[in-house]
Amino acid sequence: MIALENIALRQGSFELSDLSLELAGGEYGVLMGRSGCGKTTLLEAVCGLRRISGGRIILGGHDVTELPPAERGVGYVPQDRALFPTMLVREQLAFALVLRALGQAEIASRVDELADLLGITGLLDRTPDKLSGGEAQRVALGRALAHAPAVLCLDEPLAALDEELHSEMCRLLERVHRETGVTVLHITHSPSEAKRLAGCHFRLAAGKVTRDENGDCD
Amino acid sequence: MSGPVPVGHRVASDKPFLIGLGVLGGSYLLIIAAMVLADLVFLDYGDRSVLGPESVQQGRYTGGEATVVVEPGRDYFFRRGENEAGLKVGGRSVTRDGLFRAAGGTVTLLPRAPGQAKPVTASLRPKARVRGIAVTNGVATVTTDVAHGQLWGEFIRVSGADAPGWDGVREITNTTTNQLSFAVTEGAAAAGSLSLSRPNPLVQALRSRDIRFSIKLSLISCTLTTLLSLWVAVPIGYLMSRFEFRGKPVIDTLLDIPIVLPPLVVGLSLLILFRYVPEWLSDAVVYKWPAVVLAQFMVACAFAVRTMRVTFDQIPKRFEQVALTLGCNRRQAFWRVIMPQARGGLLAAGTLAWARALGEFGPILVFAGATRQKTEVLPTSAFLELQAGRTEGMLAVSLIMIAAAAVVFLIARTLGMKRIFA
Repeated sequence: MIALENIALRQGSFELSDLSLELAGGEYGVLMGRSGCGKTTLLEAVCGLRRISGGRIILGGHDVTELPPAERGVGYVPQDRALFPTMLVREQLAFALVLRALGQAEIASRVDELADLLGITGLLDRTPDKLSGGEAQRVALGRALAHAPAVLCLDEPLAALDEELHSEMCRLLERVHRETGVTVLHITHSPSEAKRLAGCHFRLAAGKVTRDENGDCD
Repeated sequence: MSGPVPVGHRVASDKPFLIGLGVLGGSYLLIIAAMVLADLVFLDYGDRSVLGPESVQQGRYTGGEATVVVEPGRDYFFRRGENEAGLKVGGRSVTRDGLFRAAGGTVTLLPRAPGQAKPVTASLRPKARVRGIAVTNGVATVTTDVAHGQLWGEFIRVSGADAPGWDGVREITNTTTNQLSFAVTEGAAAAGSLSLSRPNPLVQALRSRDIRFSIKLSLISCTLTTLLSLWVAVPIGYLMSRFEFRGKPVIDTLLDIPIVLPPLVVGLSLLILFRYVPEWLSDAVVYKWPAVVLAQFMVACAFAVRTMRVTFDQIPKRFEQVALTLGCNRRQAFWRVIMPQARGGLLAAGTLAWARALGEFGPILVFAGATRQKTEVLPTSAFLELQAGRTEGMLAVSLIMIAAAAVVFLIARTLGMKRIFA
């Protein structure tokens, strides 16, 4: 679960204060808002990449406000994907597992499992520059899921994909959500995308998060 | 909007723009290439004859021509001065510089302007002939029939000896007016005849113990400087690129000081600084080889820092952020995610630091001195050669520097390419 309790954060000139958001464990939350309203900043705060000046962040029942990103148990897929350019797809998927000092056999089987789930088995020995936009998105998703995080943060994962890929990725996200049971916080500026994805809808506007009543939450 | 967009819009050709780019870039390249080429052409690669004293008397062309007394049948080296058209020997006239054989007892210098009483500027020197060869304890002493003008500590090429163990470039160990001594290979039989010539400046330089030392010191000190520079430039570049803190502009300015200061001042400042350190430290550094490395480092590192900072600036923070969420601490994110991406920049910073260090001269001269076989690096050699009036020696040293740099850069770039494209 994700719970933001009255958090305040500042970035340059703009300031968000007294923000609250609650998402139960295993739910798919979509956070909407216009470009530049602070969605990404909020996501970074959840991941621990940005200090908050007030409030508490609770992930999976633990207060993580003071924890470094590495100890929060989040998977993060930034908008630009940020695949490590010097690593093979296989190495990207194994990255979090190697850091946790898992055995080689265990890593290999987990990587195969992830590749299977995301349909990227054929891409394991490629470098990121040899991937198409949709393929890169799948790899970034796999990398973020490797360490089985409780929370998955997706920053506009479907932007810049064509219509066909868009709906394909939507189906994939739904499948991943169903099969892993991860709590997802997905941000987007597209209302149609939000509508397409089942789940709980939030709207960030004028420095406030409101639960969208049209959403089929709960 | 007012009227419709006109159809048939045409743009001017791209050719003038592209040609302009080529001309502007090409002109600089051309100057560099021409500069190196001029050095290459200027050097005389052939061996030169050992020549005796000047035969031409000082004077003016009073009677229209000047006569010089020569030894019949002897080879002379003629160098035309600015007032001569050539010379007449026997029935022939010689207009080019070089060796010729005297036919009679005199040759005649031909002035360029026979009517005017201009000074005689030509040079005519006899080629030295070997008169006697003696060997004692492996040292040969060769007597020439004229004063040869060779100096101690130069090199002489022995050729055409009628005994084995003589031919080759040998270091002159002693000279008198018309004798010169050099070591011959152990157990060489006595030679009855041989001929002597001066090896070309490149051979002289590459054979010289001083210059061999300076090549070695240059290569070692530059490599040390490069490693030290990268060791410092990577953390500074990373800190400056990733963190905002109070006093950052001050540090930025401080980092630029070695780039802005005249190199001599960097040396002087180091020298002054070392007046305030413990004596054992300054004794170990000042005017010794560590001073060479420190002087090179002070300047080269500033360039390495700039390069590393730009390198890290160009790697988005996003990679580290993702690595942090995947379970890295900052150190792990740096080594696993950032440094592999910074390899190209690291290589660029390294080659830049190496090149800067190789060309560094001013601070080394002030802080390390120019002691042969102690603190002499290649730029110092070039300076010492020039100071001794040996332009050719200086050019030879410069060519060695260009060659060394070219080899190192080629290796570095090939390695870099492999790593990037592998």
